[in-house]
Amino acid sequence: MKEEFLLGNGAIALGILEAGCQIMTSYPGTPSSEILPEVVRFSKAANLNTSIEWSVNEKVAFDNAFAAAISGKRAACCMKMVGLNVAADSFMSAAYIGNIGGLVIISCDDPGPHSSQTEQDSRLMARLGKVPVLDPGSPEEAREMIKVAFDLSEEFQVPVMVRPAIRVCHARQNITYGALESNLTKADFKREPSRWASTPKFRLIQHKALNEKHERISERFNTLTPFNMHTLEKGTSYPFGVVTGGVPSCVVQDMFEEYDRKDIPVLKLGAPYPFPERLADEFMDACDKVLVIEETDTLIEYMLRDKHKTLGRLTHHVPMEGELVPEKIEGVLNKALSDCGLPPLSDHDCGTEAFTLVGGLDLPIRKPTLCPGCPHRASFYSIRKALPKAIYPSDIGCYTLGSNLGVVDTVLDMGAGITMASGFWNAYIQDDVKKPIVATIGDSTFFHSGTTGLINAVYNDSRFILVILDNHVTAMTGMQPSITQGDRVDGRKGNAISLETIVKGCGINYLKVVDPYDTKTMIQTVKDAADHVNDPDGGIAVIISRHPCVIAFKDQAIPEQIKVRVSDECNDCGFCHTRFECPALIQDKENGKTEINELLCAECGVCIQICPQHAIEKA
Amino acid sequence: MKTINYVLTGLGGQGILFMTKVLATAALDKGYNILGAETHGMAQRGGSVVSHLRIGDARSSLIRAGAADFLLSMDESEAYRYLPYLKKGGKLFANAPSNQFPDERTAAYLEGQNIKTWAMEAAKTAMAMGSSKSTNLAMVAFYAAFDVGPLSAADLRMTVDKMSPGPFNRTNLKIFDACYETGKQMAMGN
Repeated sequence: MKEEFLLGNGAIALGILEAGCQIMTSYPGTPSSEILPEVVRFSKAANLNTSIEWSVNEKVAFDNAFAAAISGKRAACCMKMVGLNVAADSFMSAAYIGNIGGLVIISCDDPGPHSSQTEQDSRLMARLGKVPVLDPGSPEEAREMIKVAFDLSEEFQVPVMVRPAIRVCHARQNITYGALESNLTKADFKREPSRWASTPKFRLIQHKALNEKHERISERFNTLTPFNMHTLEKGTSYPFGVVTGGVPSCVVQDMFEEYDRKDIPVLKLGAPYPFPERLADEFMDACDKVLVIEETDTLIEYMLRDKHKTLGRLTHHVPMEGELVPEKIEGVLNKALSDCGLPPLSDHDCGTEAFTLVGGLDLPIRKPTLCPGCPHRASFYSIRKALPKAIYPSDIGCYTLGSNLGVVDTVLDMGAGITMASGFWNAYIQDDVKKPIVATIGDSTFFHSGTTGLINAVYNDSRFILVILDNHVTAMTGMQPSITQGDRVDGRKGNAISLETIVKGCGINYLKVVDPYDTKTMIQTVKDAADHVNDPDGGIAVIISRHPCVIAFKDQAIPEQIKVRVSDECNDCGFCHTRFECPALIQDKENGKTEINELLCAECGVCIQICPQHAIEKA
Repeated sequence: MKTINYVLTGLGGQGILFMTKVLATAALDKGYNILGAETHGMAQRGGSVVSHLRIGDARSSLIRAGAADFLLSMDESEAYRYLPYLKKGGKLFANAPSNQFPDERTAAYLEGQNIKTWAMEAAKTAMAMGSSKSTNLAMVAFYAAFDVGPLSAADLRMTVDKMSPGPFNRTNLKIFDACYETGKQMAMGN
């Protein structure tokens, strides 16, 4: 046996392999990104034959796993919750059709949000797709739930979702584990077109069969201890009880223990859908009022279906947005208990006084910024310099932080940098206005969701400049290898895909490749591209701005280290630290000039090119 | 055992994760259960980073505001930012000049909450001794000198020894011993 202080995503990976999963696919996204690499680590250490891939996007990942599952193998795919939107088309259909080998979808939620566009609750997607869902509260529970999910999926021939929230994924816990064994099930796809390729008439039959499965799974969930359980004493009635699940259930249980509140019963629903009706009825019948504390939306609260007894988001007892951090839950419980005429847990102000005090201290605002030496910063500088009045639709990745440089106007979803660029063009050209538009997208995002939009824009003759920021890596989510390099997650070589070939294949005739560290050339390239866009015989212009990520490929990214210093010409105009926004350049208020933070400086030398006073020079 | 709660803070790049691992490993070696919560994703270099570590049998990885026993901060501003997490009677250890910390604006609050604070210039000490990257270990050593909580100075030093790879081992232990000594002097002065 081994013990490790394992990340929640590591515990999930362990559960996946302990369940005998043979095929594992994913697309990175916080907070899910570490699951797949951890599967690789455990699989390699145990010498398993697991097939593991970073797929190009979540839909691709889902379909790959689905095919394996209907061939009789155990398969899993994982993603962040907005990734499930990308896979939604497949996901919605999958439960109708069902599977043979266990199929588990791990959709990681980000209440907060800490690193996402939305706070959507994957459990609601599960309900929409009629996919049973398990909601773990801790790494250890997530590991156990994954195994149960595979068994349920195989028994009922339906995909099962596990929904860990960020506080499970990025929690750490000491986890003990033993030897892992290979699952040697062979692929055996049995043709059955009426099932695997069913027409609408058969879909109705499948839908009915799915609903019947749900009745049986709901019955199973009534007794699925310890995931689903209550703490009622037989024959006792209570003025107040709490219904909870997932991460908040751990907070509630900790707090009731700490404050010794055995008088408040808890119904824990770690498997909330299909809803365990009988278990919930027992609880509702024994309590005069129940407070629902669930993350992030209102799945359980609606399922309870008793307006007169239920307190929660719909009664404004629980906040409708934001993460349910423990101090918030304490406040919610105190308020609800008081409203029901019961003693609160504590007289704590939930940190209000201290947070107010700290809020008044003028502490430095530490917003996320692009790293020192980041090639994206140089690209954004040149784009703005060349076309300061353009609209800048952008996309999802590190370069979203280009908003700090004023060169990111819109971020909607993966790929929208391109599709919104054509949308802006169409909106303006209808009024006979040729609006300059410069879209930015990263290499990984371009492969994920960019090509369809580009093909559409070429086909419909929209006009804009597209800058593909190619840094050879999926940086924001933790340096996953890029398709352009052909490196696979398990270290094996795949086939590298050339961005140039794909761009040309989308019908683009105007393509330039530049190194953004050479800002002079890049500015001119953007200006030339604008001429092509405006030429009646022109079209969309694509610029690949290519420079390796300074974190992932330090030596390649900075082949010649350029130490810089600030000369007396510096007049403290602030351009370099506020507009160019390099964290290594700081304002020295006492001396009225800029100072270099040598600990942070990447020695890229780009700031020499951008200083309006030419006051930054080689040291 | 009652759960002991640590909030660890600093700036991205200062090695909060390693600091957490040192405390966690020491606790694990003593046979305690541990649970932690980390910041990932958008937190970039220079951003505010926080890590929660709970020693004992807690279920939830997050520490409630007003429930932390100890706050260890590698940055002065971040020490103030996470002040609300300390409980009444909690203890704060900061990488800051000891004659300027804490800020007088927080004095009344700290006194009202009976929160004790200690500060040393851990980053300067680490840098002067040859490893600016070891501020995290310097803070662990400084904390260890006060002998509060379930982990002894000997436990922590042994863990640092075990977790510092070859070329860094000597420097790290030297820094540990120096900062432990600074802390010891302060602890005896109180």
